[in-house]
Amino acid sequence: MIIAERRTIPEILENIEPYKKVLLLGCRGCVAVCSAGGDREVAILAEALRLARSRQGKEIEIIETTFIRQCDPEYLEPLKELGKKVEAVVSLACGVGVNLIADLYPELRVYPGVDTSFYGANIALGEWVEKCRGCGDCIIDKTAGLCPIARCAKNLLNGPCGGSKGGKCEVRKDMSCIWHEIVERLKSRGEMEKLLEIWKPKDWRPAGGEGLRIRVREDLEI
Amino acid sequence: METKSQLQKILESGKFAVTAEIGPPRNADGEVIRKKAQLLKGYVDAVNITDCQTAVVRVSSMASAILVMSEGLEPVIQMTCRDRNRIGIQADLLGASALGIKNLLCLTGDHPKFGNHPQAKPVFDLDSIQLLNLVKGLIEGRFDNSEEIKGKRPYFFLGAAENPFADPFEFRPYRLGKKVKAGARFIQTQIIYNVEKFRKFIERCRDLGLLDQVYILGGVTPPKSLGMAKYMKYNVPGLEVPDEIIKRLESAKDKREEGIRIAVDIIEQLKEIPGVKGVHIMAIEWEESVPEIVKRAGLYPREMIAEIQPPFVVEKVIEKPVEVVVEKVVEKIVEKPIEVVVEKVVEKEIPLETEMAQEKFSQATMIEVLSDLKASLKNIKAGMESLEEALAKLEEEFLGKKGRVSVMREVRKVEEIEKEPKPEVSPEIRPEERLEEKPVIYKEKEVKEEIIKEFKAEVKEEAKVEVEKEIITEIKAEEKPVVIEKEGVEIKIGEFKRDYRPLKERASKIAEDLYIEKSTAEIKEVVIGKGEKVIKVGGVSALNFHYFEGEMRNGVKFALEILDVKPEDWPESLAKYFSDVFYDPGLWAKKCVEEYDAEAICLYLLGTDPNYLDLSADHAKKVVEKVLSAVDVPLIVWGSGNAEKDVEVLRDLADIVGGRGVVLGPVVEANYKTLAAVAMGYNTPVIASTPIDVNLAKQLNILIENMGLSLDKILMDPSIGALGYGLEYTYSVMERIRLAALFAQDTKLQVPFICSIGKEVWKTKEAGLPSDDLMGDSERRGILMEALTGVTLALAGGDLLIMRHPKSVELCKKLFAALNSS
Amino acid sequence: MKKALKISILCCNYTNLSEREDLEKVLGVLEIKRFPCSGHIEITDILRAFREGASGVMVGGCEKGTCHNERGSERAEKRVLEAKKILEEIGIEKERLAIFYIPRLSAEDFVNNAKVFYELLLKLDLKEKGQ
Repeated sequence: MIIAERRTIPEILENIEPYKKVLLLGCRGCVAVCSAGGDREVAILAEALRLARSRQGKEIEIIETTFIRQCDPEYLEPLKELGKKVEAVVSLACGVGVNLIADLYPELRVYPGVDTSFYGANIALGEWVEKCRGCGDCIIDKTAGLCPIARCAKNLLNGPCGGSKGGKCEVRKDMSCIWHEIVERLKSRGEMEKLLEIWKPKDWRPAGGEGLRIRVREDLEI
Repeated sequence: METKSQLQKILESGKFAVTAEIGPPRNADGEVIRKKAQLLKGYVDAVNITDCQTAVVRVSSMASAILVMSEGLEPVIQMTCRDRNRIGIQADLLGASALGIKNLLCLTGDHPKFGNHPQAKPVFDLDSIQLLNLVKGLIEGRFDNSEEIKGKRPYFFLGAAENPFADPFEFRPYRLGKKVKAGARFIQTQIIYNVEKFRKFIERCRDLGLLDQVYILGGVTPPKSLGMAKYMKYNVPGLEVPDEIIKRLESAKDKREEGIRIAVDIIEQLKEIPGVKGVHIMAIEWEESVPEIVKRAGLYPREMIAEIQPPFVVEKVIEKPVEVVVEKVVEKIVEKPIEVVVEKVVEKEIPLETEMAQEKFSQATMIEVLSDLKASLKNIKAGMESLEEALAKLEEEFLGKKGRVSVMREVRKVEEIEKEPKPEVSPEIRPEERLEEKPVIYKEKEVKEEIIKEFKAEVKEEAKVEVEKEIITEIKAEEKPVVIEKEGVEIKIGEFKRDYRPLKERASKIAEDLYIEKSTAEIKEVVIGKGEKVIKVGGVSALNFHYFEGEMRNGVKFALEILDVKPEDWPESLAKYFSDVFYDPGLWAKKCVEEYDAEAICLYLLGTDPNYLDLSADHAKKVVEKVLSAVDVPLIVWGSGNAEKDVEVLRDLADIVGGRGVVLGPVVEANYKTLAAVAMGYNTPVIASTPIDVNLAKQLNILIENMGLSLDKILMDPSIGALGYGLEYTYSVMERIRLAALFAQDTKLQVPFICSIGKEVWKTKEAGLPSDDLMGDSERRGILMEALTGVTLALAGGDLLIMRHPKSVELCKKLFAALNSS
Repeated sequence: MKKALKISILCCNYTNLSEREDLEKVLGVLEIKRFPCSGHIEITDILRAFREGASGVMVGGCEKGTCHNERGSERAEKRVLEAKKILEEIGIEKERLAIFYIPRLSAEDFVNNAKVFYELLLKLDLKEKGQ
């Protein structure tokens, strides 16, 4: 899922400084699962903003709502009416939601309430770890399902660098050397020869090197 | 045109090759590179030039290579994938080849995290193997996109690095194979100390048939000190330093000499391994050792096969004389030769050898060019001579000094300051500048015995006050005690008798601005404790005791150390002072304050250590409460050092110590999040503890500050080593931290040092050995070891010293008071 | 008119918390909100208490190991840490929020803590006014 993190209160306060009536819009998609922008976080942020504004002597009216998703136009429909009632929207969805609102409702002032961080897994309560970088050209078929693009600090493609020690990465001790794991796993499967070929430099265009990435499925289009 | 490099020819002719390494400077001073090249010329076949090693910005490898070539030495440029994508890399390589650079080492490169711009976007468009493959393509005439190179192709003798000791060990030979397949012709390995493991690696390479395809040069580094060896052992991933090496250094008197011997021994062993075709000597920040190592390893002289020529003559930088005194006479002498040189050289950009070979130039032009060059050189020489004379005259006039001083020597000195201080450089001391301090006299009440300690302070030419730690201990023979265990015998610390002559007086003949170098920053002041007895630590605006350069508002502070449990390993000479109160930490603290005037107490929670008694947080709580109710001086609570346990214990302590401004620690990388939050909650200072490293110290400060605790709540514990156990290394790291803080505006390091001296000194073997003829009196030995460690680290920047023996504290205080009187 | 200093106490229903008469010794206005378990105290509850005029908020939980719901009070402690972060971002001293573990049998400790907390708040208020 997409992992995001709450922005600081001063950052949000600065954005909504001129407004007296604001919509705080959560999303029940990824950001709810990673506890950054679901119902609960909307409630906390709303309370925090009210408190901060009352201390400034500038009371604020906040409408709290959470949509099922913000990355689909149909789920954003209610904004048509809701948007008229407020001066600005703070969206706690990932950057996708904020962008889509900005695209569909150009008259609405929409501000991000979270920093969108990465694609990750919820490996333990309160802990999320990046697993994929969305580079658009999957290679993990050759690396036993473990991605060196996302999980190696140097994006290496031809095996571990000289800083691999005891299965740990030299860049950060809390990070395992993914190449070590790849080598071990392929070795145990008797597939080491997969690693002996020289891996050609990666084509970075599918990773966004040419700007906006678009995917079209004609069979699904109406 | 000759394409093969000197290195390639040596290797191909089957001779044992020697390469070394130069790290370019972190400024635009080309002279530094030239100096290093001069040092190595004739001793190595080629020299590697690092490409922003450890991701720190330095002069680029290619530019440095040109300077190295102008000194007649062959460079091996290094190219990493960290900073350039495939477009930048290919462009730079075409350029390098166009400039006549012939050796190239392809590396992935250290991650930016390790450098001075960790915020930078890491490129890593390629990895080292893809880079090798790309260069192989360039040599064969095609770009990475398979497009043909029309016209002249670049040529490089292509090399790569390999770390035989990194994990997964058995994959390493395969990785080497991949590099060979990708185009590597020679390999320089990571530093080898574990020759046995390296031998196994080579055997595996032989099995894979790699040894016939590639020349392997073994990496060798002389350990400069015991501290450096330990650092490499424990902190550098992928580097194995066997205990035997550490032991050798530990037992050696002259560590540097031993370091050189170790390097030579390893080279001798490497020579014997079939398949090793040379050595790569990486004398980190110690290039001077390379000639000695090469000579002793029987690898000198080196054969010069090809004449190394620069692609063009680089304008010689003439060091202008120090512009202190504006003297017209001097200016006249100086001006002429410089102008002549610059004009001639610049005007005639000497043509490339390639073009000469293509006979674009007639022989006549060549002769003209060469004779011009010769004339220029003569002029330079004449200019230098007149400069020297002028300087000598100046000196005679202003400093009343006879004799000539070489210009070159002056230049070298400037460079030396940049490097770590070198103890072997003995400063010139003129008799009248010599300063003598009163001997400190110890008197023993009953045995009437005197030890005379002489602290000689000497003044360097650059006027850095350096207290030399030469201690002469004289014991009157006839009164020497035979029995050491003496009840009621107390050592007394004497006084200084004569006055200290201030530096200003001693250096009255030297202009002040020559030796005063004021810092532009100040170390933060940390307040410890609450109420009347509060102490302030830090707040210095110069190097410690440089009273002539700045302030040392709070002086050096001391804390006496007590434990939460009865100590088991304290030698009798130390334990006897406190054994009556060991059972109660409260009384112990009280005794420290009332009897020994402690201005602060450090409570070391040894008993909570999971590897010792694993006592609970409740135990710690009770002890702290006792201490707090017994004394009102500031308290430092030092946890067991076990990151997890400390969180448990210190968090529980926080609410009873919070209101008293008690210092909590050690906070380490593994637990800073929780402990910094606890400290923040109670607004209490913390000890940021890191394993003796400038960058780690800085990083932890940043991390803690990011948690919200301000820098003036942090004391840095650099993890010190006691006398004989890494003191020099500690000194050097602390000094570097302090210099960065004061002179390089490194705000995150402008934090006071706390040094846990007692703990380190009293655990050494020497401090605990009984009295005997060889080692002398046990107690005096211990005191001197602790005091000496304390004094040394105070000189390096220590602001708060934690010690155990009341007499060592007294001794240190007396010495510091004497320094203060200047 | 001078506004009295108000402390909001959010605590577990089962905590043997002293009643009003015990707390009378503590100066200032005390407001007690009881929850089924301190683990049920949300960050929003803490923030709301501040918005409703509290100078400081004390979160009271059972001592470790005595919580009916095993780890409710530990959960409360973590929420307090997160709430402190938010308070700081808003510009409210985080010392104004504190968690206390209350022994099941004795109220004395808690009353003493409340007194100390009151003094702390008083100091913080004075400091704020001074500025």
